[in-house]
Amino acid sequence: MIGNDVVDLEKANLDSNWKRKGYLDKICTRSEQQLILQASVPAVMLWLIWSMKEAAYKIMNRKTGIRLYEPLKFICDELLTDGIQASGKISYLENNFYSQSEIEGSLLHSAVVSALPDFKNLHLQYLRPMPDYRDTFNCLPGFYLLTRNRSGLPEMIHTITGQKHAVSVSHHGSYLAVIYSDSLLLTD
Amino acid sequence: MKKEVLIKAIQEIVSPYTQDKTALQNISEDTDFITDLQINSANLVDIVLDIEEKFGIEIDNDSMAKMLNVKAAIEIIEIKCAANDRK
Repeated sequence: MIGNDVVDLEKANLDSNWKRKGYLDKICTRSEQQLILQASVPAVMLWLIWSMKEAAYKIMNRKTGIRLYEPLKFICDELLTDGIQASGKISYLENNFYSQSEIEGSLLHSAVVSALPDFKNLHLQYLRPMPDYRDTFNCLPGFYLLTRNRSGLPEMIHTITGQKHAVSVSHHGSYLAVIYSDSLLLTD
Repeated sequence: MKKEVLIKAIQEIVSPYTQDKTALQNISEDTDFITDLQINSANLVDIVLDIEEKFGIEIDNDSMAKMLNVKAAIEIIEIKCAANDRK
């Protein structure tokens, strides 16, 4: 399974006061907090870690159907970043996930998978966050149709095979990101 | 505390974090913070902290995990306040 999370850093800085007393303690482990406080731009490191947790949560939520707000249980580890790209590991109970992120200006995007080879054949498409973003996607050249099911969850249907492929959509502020896989199906 | 009073207090607390003012006006026990009020998950922490401050309680991680809607928030406030009263 795959999950993604996009953060509009400009909006996040306006909407959240992460320096507020108690804020970091509720969402980040001690070692994550250390990474944030030691980073050259602490806010970017925080939202990077946050997006990794959110993307991994999306996978868990889709897998189990359970909704819980427990950011502390999604533990980020082995985080490497040069300020433009980042990779890391996230664990939740006995589940492990891997992340690849990119940061450009005020755009931060994380894609998370449950096995490293799943990054192969993974596509990322940014779209304008308009209500008709699916129509825009479906006008792009390719063999996929982006729709949503009755519960409002996104579905990516291959127009030739009719198979449903793994997909995740994230929207925040000025950004909307769709990731989908050529090799993984919705049920994988 | 009466349920209506608690709902009113929660309405006030979540107000700065939602753009959907109609949904905010129609807030009830069944309102979901994320799906109904469109509150960003990063702001859910602020709501937890605001509730802690307002009611003088401490919301542990297991309680926070369930705090996705008004009903759960009310239950947690009631339990934590009752525990405070016993002290």
